[in-house]
Amino acid sequence: MEKLMAARLHAAKARPYLADALFALHVVEDRSVPTMAVDAHWRCYVSPAYVARMPVEELAGVWVHEVSHLLRDHHGRGERYAREHEAYGPFERLRRNIAADFEINDDIYGDGLPRPTGAVLPSLLRLPTGLLMEEYLRTASMSGLSPDLAWLDCGGGADGQGRPWELGADGARGLTRQQRDAVRFRVAEGIRGRPGEAPEGWRRWADEAFHPPQPWRRLLGAAVRSAAGAPGVGEDHTYRRPSRRAATLPGVVLPSLRRKPPRVCVVIDTSGSVSDAELGGALLEVAAISRAVGGRRDLVSVVSCDAAARVAVPLCRAESMALIGGGGTDLRSGFTRALRSRPRPDVIVALTDGQTPWPSAQPPCRTVVGLFPRPAGPVDEDDPDYRPEGPPPWARVVTIG
Amino acid sequence: MTTTNTTTQLALAGDLLTRLRETTTEPRPDEQLEALTLAVAADLPVLLWGEPGIGKTAALTQLATSLGLPLTTVIASVHEPSDFSGLPIVGDDPAVQGVPMAPPQWAVDLVRAGKGLLFLDELSTATPAVQAALLRVVLERKVGALQLPPGVRIVAAANPRASAADGWELSPPLANRFVHLYWVHDRDVVVRGLGGVWPRAELPRLAPDRLPEAVAYARRAVCGFLEARPTLIHRLPSTETRRGGAWPSPRSWEAALTLLAFGTAASVSRDVLALLVRGAVGDGPGLELLAHLDRMELPDPEALLADPPSAELPERGDLRQAALEAVIAAVGARPERERWEAGWAVLVRALETGAPDLLVAPATTLAALRRDDWEVPAAMDRLAAVVGLARRADRSLARATAEGTPR
Repeated sequence: MEKLMAARLHAAKARPYLADALFALHVVEDRSVPTMAVDAHWRCYVSPAYVARMPVEELAGVWVHEVSHLLRDHHGRGERYAREHEAYGPFERLRRNIAADFEINDDIYGDGLPRPTGAVLPSLLRLPTGLLMEEYLRTASMSGLSPDLAWLDCGGGADGQGRPWELGADGARGLTRQQRDAVRFRVAEGIRGRPGEAPEGWRRWADEAFHPPQPWRRLLGAAVRSAAGAPGVGEDHTYRRPSRRAATLPGVVLPSLRRKPPRVCVVIDTSGSVSDAELGGALLEVAAISRAVGGRRDLVSVVSCDAAARVAVPLCRAESMALIGGGGTDLRSGFTRALRSRPRPDVIVALTDGQTPWPSAQPPCRTVVGLFPRPAGPVDEDDPDYRPEGPPPWARVVTIG
Repeated sequence: MTTTNTTTQLALAGDLLTRLRETTTEPRPDEQLEALTLAVAADLPVLLWGEPGIGKTAALTQLATSLGLPLTTVIASVHEPSDFSGLPIVGDDPAVQGVPMAPPQWAVDLVRAGKGLLFLDELSTATPAVQAALLRVVLERKVGALQLPPGVRIVAAANPRASAADGWELSPPLANRFVHLYWVHDRDVVVRGLGGVWPRAELPRLAPDRLPEAVAYARRAVCGFLEARPTLIHRLPSTETRRGGAWPSPRSWEAALTLLAFGTAASVSRDVLALLVRGAVGDGPGLELLAHLDRMELPDPEALLADPPSAELPERGDLRQAALEAVIAAVGARPERERWEAGWAVLVRALETGAPDLLVAPATTLAALRRDDWEVPAAMDRLAAVVGLARRADRSLARATAEGTPR
């Protein structure tokens, strides 16, 4: 026991941002556990024999490994995966455990925390590192691993299935869902507060733990829909046609609510930094969305724009249009061109990687920016402090990809 | 012959349907139902988010029955703005009498009944103009010229953006007026319900003698928290993912305060309280407020120092360590010999009741507070094991760092 506690101290000193989570775990000694395992209620089950044969520094690695399962909500995600794919049974359980281990093990060790003997790495199956558990599950069969891998039962906390030794939800000293959320939240805030200390994988986790990224298609759709549907754009009161309720109120002229299909203009950044595949996917998406809002194909036009804007063409022709361009971008000319077209568009959707100057004033219509993310870093070699300015606050920004 | 036959068959079908509809209810712990009932009792508008067909309407029907309130369902998406802002009625001389804005029948019925549960369904598929008209209904409880009586409670339902294929999103002003609850189905509840027994919602039992205490507690919690984190008082949703959900503003903090007071007076579990608080001000600020509540509940350092042998420390390791650190900080703020020795006694007490590794950091800090003329108390010997533990961890860390790259 003392050895285990020393290992926890070691882990907390090597990874101070995980200390709260490590100390929140409740230790249960149990001889029926093969090694060390956690359950969904943040109890940690430990086999005394396993502790006896592991060196302290490796046990510290195991501590961090087990707490990572819980912080990354592997039980919840594993359960969801099992339900969605109807993947049950001992082999599937093992697969989930391995995939979860892959997600954890590729970036938590090193820097004062040696990798314990028997920890599995994605390289065992020649898989790339840095993927999520679900991605490993989808892409790899895991059948190449020998079944006698010693260290493969991390308990219900890793895959969402109960074990005989677990105390369950009603057992003593478990954490409730809200308490677990609170601990995870505190750890995430700690990492976000001092991002310098934590490796890339943990920083990404902290950013996404409580705001999981949503598919960009859905967000772009919602943004374009609400831009096209905002009052004064796609829909307004009109006196050109009587209200269907006019018959009940003789003598009163009621306006009727009429939709006019929104005109959408897509400004495409065709500078060299955006790939054709990215653009093609996003453009098709915008076309599909604007059809869903009630726009006709001829109401969607496209301006391709690098340093100078080219003519706006209706979408029916743009599908066969070669997106010409390359070199630098100046989206301002694209905006000017889009606004000069008659009739004026109700919504401008700009697809860009954001490395461009933006119009200084808000254009007189709703703006949605589909942003292709680019790794942050100095863009200009002569001036390393230069950062391209982000999209302006009046645009709704959806990160694509 | 044929006609009679048909009639009998229809009557039989009717019998069968009646039998199928005979369901009973049972009291059953159900966090989301408890949260919904508490928010309805606190007279805050609730918005249920959930996939279509998940049983939001069924839950509300149950709620209305068990609260004894008539249920009025209004499908927001099939109405026009004038249904909520009132229809103009022209009299004989509009210049003299003015044109009153007449309320629709359901509103008149609600006012006549004096109480009721107004259910605005399909909120997220209502057009922006209708949503704007609903702002007044939800916040000021006014439909046209008609004021809804205080006995009326408002609940709305919406489909999440993922499943609402042609839906609009909720505008931030409307979203800010609701307590957002995410409705998920519980397998056991569904199976048991199809078997004929649904869970019963019960009004939270407010303990009459706890009301002043509840108000004081809620005010202390929210005010203390916002004093420490003033940036969280008002924060419009900035990213696309957070649009349409709860966000912090003075209005929603007031809702959170009300919910805290109700939850305290009704002694609901922390889990239910968390659902409600997060639903009112959003996940991030809600979780931070809950963490603040945790800290508020830590034992008072001075009380621990006054009577170390019977000190009650939190069981959870991270909270226990926070409590111990507060004790040491209290000693450091007013370093006197008796207090310093009491600090050691608290640590000994902690060693007797919990894991030893939590004591390393507090013990190191406390040892550093020693003045030259203070003698080492006998209690310190009992913490020798802790010192050994710390050395062991340090040696292990040094070994691991010296090894450099992992094996």
